[in-house]
Amino acid sequence: MDLAAVNTPTGEDGGVAHGARLVAFADAVMGPDEARLLRERDALRGVLGDDAFVDTCAVVGAFNVVDRIADATGIPLDDGLAAMSAGVRDELGLARFASSANTPGAAG
Amino acid sequence: MTRPATTADTARVSGTAHVSLAYADAPVAVRADLIETQERLLEHLRRPGCWFTGAERLAIAAESRHAPACPLCRERKAALSPEHPSGAHERVTGGRLADPVVEVAHRVRTDSGRLSRAWFERTLASGLEIGPYVEAVGVVALLAGLDFFCRALGVPLHPLPEPADGAPTRHVPEGLRSDIAWVPILTPENASGPEADLYDPAGLIPNIARALSSVPDHVRQLQGLTRSHYLALADMGDPKKGRAIDRMQIELVAARVSALNECFY
Repeated sequence: MDLAAVNTPTGEDGGVAHGARLVAFADAVMGPDEARLLRERDALRGVLGDDAFVDTCAVVGAFNVVDRIADATGIPLDDGLAAMSAGVRDELGLARFASSANTPGAAG
Repeated sequence: MTRPATTADTARVSGTAHVSLAYADAPVAVRADLIETQERLLEHLRRPGCWFTGAERLAIAAESRHAPACPLCRERKAALSPEHPSGAHERVTGGRLADPVVEVAHRVRTDSGRLSRAWFERTLASGLEIGPYVEAVGVVALLAGLDFFCRALGVPLHPLPEPADGAPTRHVPEGLRSDIAWVPILTPENASGPEADLYDPAGLIPNIARALSSVPDHVRQLQGLTRSHYLALADMGDPKKGRAIDRMQIELVAARVSALNECFY
């Protein structure tokens, strides 16, 4: 997977089937543009099919839960996960997020 | 998001209320396990918890749902620092909730990525105790998930149900540790008594699964939600595990949403 699209949509799939469409849909759900959301929803359904579309909606929902829990409780990254993800975190520049302060040694 | 247009549908059968969700207007069929989880979630929110009555929990939910339209929240979201705009939140529940609870409901919903330890400590210093803080966070977060699912799917938000009667339990699990996060955490090795079955003894229990453990029923709801809306904890270590979308697609969507929420974890 090309991680670039996580931070900045590239319009490319990045090694993930329909990756560009998935990112565009996530952006539309999280943003304020209703017309864009309508377009991206239809486009995603068109390429994924209904079941996969519902799964995508569920993941969007799930991570709007866990993100808020993580950031409002100040939990640190688990030790093993912190070690495994160091390279990915650096590549994504996650230390720029305020909540990086909750994991010792992680803040930029 | 689309505002709910109808009142709640909370049927009473033999004195036990049950929230029933219908996705009749959805453009696609919604998996039964998703609906069941969401029904249990709303049932959970309408019932008294450890620290709040059902009515108070639903007031927290209503405030959090309104937060994106709150002028103070909008100003803070747009500001370089969320601490500089000051003022009072626009409330939709009158005086039912204390100011710090409303602050939690609004901030966690609209700008959780920029919450700081200093904010957390100020919120507690303003009169909110840690148990109610965790309970409020859980209410806000769980409802946000349901609301974003509806937005993604293209259906109106579900009306909040009517509150159930009853008093908060005031239950505090034994064995909480205060040295891990901002909030007290129950680790698997310390889970006992009513919490003995809170965690899967054979499974991976990351901090996110423990974060709300001072309000154990929130953990149970989160387990159900992640199992149906994402993956079961036991499957997370298997890169081949997916659903109708494959694992790579799941993780790309998850990562993008988390980046937009500015969530480091």
